[in-house]
Amino acid sequence: MAELHIKFQNKQYQKRSADDITKAVLFVPTLLSASIVLLIIIFVAQRGIAPFIPSEYEELAVDAILFLTGNTWFVSPNVYGVMFIVINTLIVVFGAMVLAIPVGVLSALFIVKMAPKIVGNLLSGAIELLAAVPSIVFGVFGLGIITKAVVGIASVFGTQTAGGISTMSTIIVLALMIFPTIAIMSITAIRAVDINLEKNSLALGASKMQTWLNITLSSAKSGIFAGIILGIGRAFGEATAVSMVAGNAGSGPTFDLFATTRTLTSTMLLGLKETTGLDYDIRFSVGLVLIVLILSFNLILTRIKKRIGRYSV
Amino acid sequence: MLGISMISLVGVLILVLIFGFVFSKGAAVISWDFLWGDYHETVYDTYYDEGLDDTVFSRPEDLDDTIWFSSVWGVGFTDSVDEAGNAIILIVYVHQNSPLSSLLDKNEEGNFIAISNGQIVNKVIFGDNIILYGSDGAKRAAFLFDQATIIKDMITVTSGGGIRGSIITTFLLVIMTLALAVPFGVFTAVYMHEFAPKKSKIVKLLRRLIEMLSGMPSIIFGLMGAAVFIPFTSAITSADGGNLFSGALTMTAIVLPLIIAATEEALSVVPDDFRQASLALGANKTQTTFKVVLRSSIPGILTGTLLAVGRIIGESAALIYAIGTAIKDKIILTERSTSLAVHIWSVMSQEVPNFEMASAISIIILLVVLILSLLVKLIAKKFVIDPSLR
Repeated sequence: MAELHIKFQNKQYQKRSADDITKAVLFVPTLLSASIVLLIIIFVAQRGIAPFIPSEYEELAVDAILFLTGNTWFVSPNVYGVMFIVINTLIVVFGAMVLAIPVGVLSALFIVKMAPKIVGNLLSGAIELLAAVPSIVFGVFGLGIITKAVVGIASVFGTQTAGGISTMSTIIVLALMIFPTIAIMSITAIRAVDINLEKNSLALGASKMQTWLNITLSSAKSGIFAGIILGIGRAFGEATAVSMVAGNAGSGPTFDLFATTRTLTSTMLLGLKETTGLDYDIRFSVGLVLIVLILSFNLILTRIKKRIGRYSV
Repeated sequence: MLGISMISLVGVLILVLIFGFVFSKGAAVISWDFLWGDYHETVYDTYYDEGLDDTVFSRPEDLDDTIWFSSVWGVGFTDSVDEAGNAIILIVYVHQNSPLSSLLDKNEEGNFIAISNGQIVNKVIFGDNIILYGSDGAKRAAFLFDQATIIKDMITVTSGGGIRGSIITTFLLVIMTLALAVPFGVFTAVYMHEFAPKKSKIVKLLRRLIEMLSGMPSIIFGLMGAAVFIPFTSAITSADGGNLFSGALTMTAIVLPLIIAATEEALSVVPDDFRQASLALGANKTQTTFKVVLRSSIPGILTGTLLAVGRIIGESAALIYAIGTAIKDKIILTERSTSLAVHIWSVMSQEVPNFEMASAISIIILLVVLILSLLVKLIAKKFVIDPSLR
C-alpha cells in the first residue's frame, strides 16, 4: 500500500512539472510583449532628448525651453519651437470632436432605436467598413475631394485658401476618420441600455424622442465616453492623412480655419530628407511631446469617465 | 427625427464618396502591366546589323486601323500620349520571329534585348543615317522601318508605372509579421489567461503595459522601429538602414496587442466546463490548454489574424520611418522597399501628386479590406456564439 501511495505521488509530481515547464516557457513571450512599451519609451526618449544635450550635439544643441515655448518651427541652424504645434494639434482635435461626436452618437441612436432592422444593419456595416479604411486612403480622398470642397466653402466666405490645404480640411478629414469609432462604441453602449428604463419613461408620458435623448443617451454615457476617448487618441496620433491636407505651416499657432496648419504628426512625417542629423532627431523629440500629450489626455479623460460612471442611471 | 436620420446617412455617404472618387480616378490605370510591371522606367539602347532575309511579315488581322505595321520587320506602332501630353510612338505588336525580338545591347556586350509590346520608341538611327524621332508619329515609324535594313542605334523606354515591387513587399511584410506576431501574441494571451497566477501583481503590470501599447499611435511605433530595429537588423544582417526585417519587427509590435486581445477574448468565451472536464479525465493543464481550449479558440484567433493583416496592409506612417519611402522593383529582404500604402505616400509626395496611381492602389487596398471585413463577419456568424444575439 505504501509503495502504491509513493508511486501515485510521483506520477502527480510528473504532471505538475510538465505544467510548470509550460508556464515558464509561456512567460517568456509575455515578458517580451510587455517590454515593447519599455523599449519604445526608453529608445524614443533617448533619441528625443539627445538634441537638447550639449555633450551630444555641442554647438548645435537645441535649447529645451525655446523648444517647448517657441512659435516658429525652425530657425536655422538649431532653433526649434513646438508650442504652437501643440496648440494647433489641440485645435484640430477639438474641431474634429465637435463634428464627430454628434454625428457618431446620433448615428448610433438612429441605428439602434429608430431604423428598421435591415436599414440599421446596412448603416452599421457601412460604418464598420469606414472604420477599417486605412488612413492613407483618407489622405488621398482628403486631398482629392475635401480640399476642393473647402475651396468652395472658402469662396462662399470670400477668403482664399492654398488650394484647400487648410485647418478646416484637416478637421473634416480627422472627423471622418474618428466618427466611426465613436459610432461603433456608442452602438454597443446604447444596445446595452435596460429597456425597462425606456418603458418607464414612456409610461410616464415622455415622447420617444425625449426618452431617447434624455434617458437612453444618459444610461449609455459610459460607453459613449469610452468611444470618445478612443477617438481622441486616434485623432492625436493620426499622421498620414493629416500630413496630406494640413500644409505644415512654418509658424503659428493657426486660428484661421482657412489657413494652413501644422500638427505634431505632420511635423514628424513631412520634410523627411535624411535619416541622420539634427533635423531627423528632433522629430523624436516631437514624438516624445506627442506621447506625453496622449498619456496626459488618457489620464484626465479616464478620470472624468470614472466620475461620469458614478452618477449614471 | 428626420434630422437624426439624415445625420446617420453621413457614414454611408462618405463611404460611397470615397469608393466613388477612388474608382473614378484609378480604375482606368489598373491593368496587368500595372499590377505586374516595374515602377521605374528602363531605357534600352540596341542595334541590329545582321542584315535581313526576305521574310515578309503579314499584318495580323486583329490589328485595327490605328496601328501602322511594318511588314519588313514585323512590328506594329501606334500613336499615343505620355503623362506630360507629348506625342509618343508606342510599340503594340512584335512578331515572335521579328528581328526586333532579339537585338544586341549597346551597353553590354553579348547581351540580347527583346523589343516588346508596351515599349516607347524614343529615337532610331537607321543604316543610311536616317533618324526617326519619338515625336514623328507611328505612320512615319512604320514607313522608315520598311525602308531600312540596318538599325545603327535604337533607343526604347519601358513605360514603368507598375506596382509589382510594392505588391511583393506587402505580401512579404504580412507573412513575416504574422510569423512573429501570431505565436508571440497567442502564447502571451494563453499565459495571461490560463497559466498566470490569479491576482499576481506581475500579471497586472504586464496587462497595463500591453494596454498602453494599444493606445499608442502607429507613428510612435515607427520612431521605435527607426531607433531600435533599424540599428539592430543592420548589425546582424547585411542591411544598411531600413529593410524589410525592421519593417516586419515594427509591424509585429503594432499588431501584437490586436492578436493578444482577440486571443484573450476567444479564450474567455470557451466555457470553463471544457477545462474542468478535460482535467477530470486526467489530462494535465498543458494538454488541456493546447488540445482543448486553444482548439476551440481558433475562430477568435483567426479573426485577430485577419484584423492584423488588414492593419499591416493599411499601415503607412510607421513604415515610412521603419523602412523608408524608396520604391523598388527588385525586392531584397535586407534592403528598402515600399508597401502598397507607403507607395501611395511616395507618389502623392512628389511635386505633382500622382492621383491616378494613388487611387488605383487605393482600390486594391479597399477591396482587400472589404474582403477581410466580410471574412471576419463570416467567422463571427458561423463559429462564435454571441449570447446577446439570442
